[in-house]
Amino acid sequence: MEPGSGLQQRRAGGGGGLDLGAGSAAGSPALSGGQARRRKQPPRPADFKLQVIIIGSRGVGKTSLMERFTDDTFCEACKSTVGVDFKIKTVELRGKKIRLQIWDTAGQERFNSITSAYYRSAKGIILVYDITKKETFDDLPKWMKMIDKYASEDAELLLVGNKLDCEVDREITRQQGEKFAQQITGMRFCEASAKDNFNVDEIFLKLVDDILKKMPLDVIRNELSNSILSLQPEPEIPPELPPPRPHVRCC
Amino acid sequence: MAAACAEMEPAAAPPSPSPAPAAAPGSGELVCAQGRNLKAVLCQRCGSRVLLPGAATFARRELLLPAMRKKAAAAAGGGGGSGGDVVREHWLVRDMFSFENVGFTRDVGNVKFLVCADCEAGPIGWHCLDDKESFYVALERVAHE
Repeated sequence: MEPGSGLQQRRAGGGGGLDLGAGSAAGSPALSGGQARRRKQPPRPADFKLQVIIIGSRGVGKTSLMERFTDDTFCEACKSTVGVDFKIKTVELRGKKIRLQIWDTAGQERFNSITSAYYRSAKGIILVYDITKKETFDDLPKWMKMIDKYASEDAELLLVGNKLDCEVDREITRQQGEKFAQQITGMRFCEASAKDNFNVDEIFLKLVDDILKKMPLDVIRNELSNSILSLQPEPEIPPELPPPRPHVRCC
Repeated sequence: MAAACAEMEPAAAPPSPSPAPAAAPGSGELVCAQGRNLKAVLCQRCGSRVLLPGAATFARRELLLPAMRKKAAAAAGGGGGSGGDVVREHWLVRDMFSFENVGFTRDVGNVKFLVCADCEAGPIGWHCLDDKESFYVALERVAHE
């Protein structure tokens, strides 16, 4: 992988629609149509590569946020027994083509079992709770401790109250979620339903937009490309080994 | 090293197979003169865009991919321990970030299988952790547009 290779400014920014190439899979005219016509040239490399991780307590629907369909019946070999490790998804935003490397930490929910490497290189962190399960909301401070300890200080944070489709079973009000997010500098908040695909594409676009807005282009060029995790098996680093970073976010 | 991978004939295929469209019956209309994919590579099930035209080169290599079956079929068949297909024709991608959309399974030995990023249909491809610059997408497991 050539870290800097895909990061040239190929297009001027501005004006681009918010088309999530990945999300609108079957029909994504903005991305697929335009790209498909350019057959004489090699495909335009991505302008940026960003790593995003999805964290949260067990059962909050992290994996569903990565998926387009939740009624999957395919691939017992992959899905049930092996599971998806990460995904590459392509997004077009502000005239830029952005490759997201999205890590779903499902299956590693215990707070101290997720290696710090996930956090360190993430430019975007999606913290998920289930609006119908109070305990997943009560766990949020513990997740914030992990973020404060391991994540880059400039990582964009987005709090997502998932399972909006289960409104009748709601235990956590929207205001409670908002209030939690407001206590943390720069944290955005939204509610979503991975089941209905409500707000799911928007979550990723919002996060990417925030990351791009925050970063000067030269910083993106130099740093973000190097932040991508390789496919090396993750070393099982005990969480107490890396030095804690200052707790700047929590009140 | 290569022998550890789930590969049928490690010695038969060099890491950088020369593009040979003429020697690929059935795939001729998919391969350009430079050995690249003329058409976009899509998920057969949901149409998710896996590769743009020109993003990969045609390559021959015998690889064993677990069968692409529905859960119900797998259950009826009594598990899928032996379920697998030998696939020979692939799109070879050198950089993970050349993919538009793709999912990687967790490690199976030192192999990761490639699946659709949107609906997780698959496996559609194969990647050995020993070779960081080779990602294979089986022609017969994807659609072309």
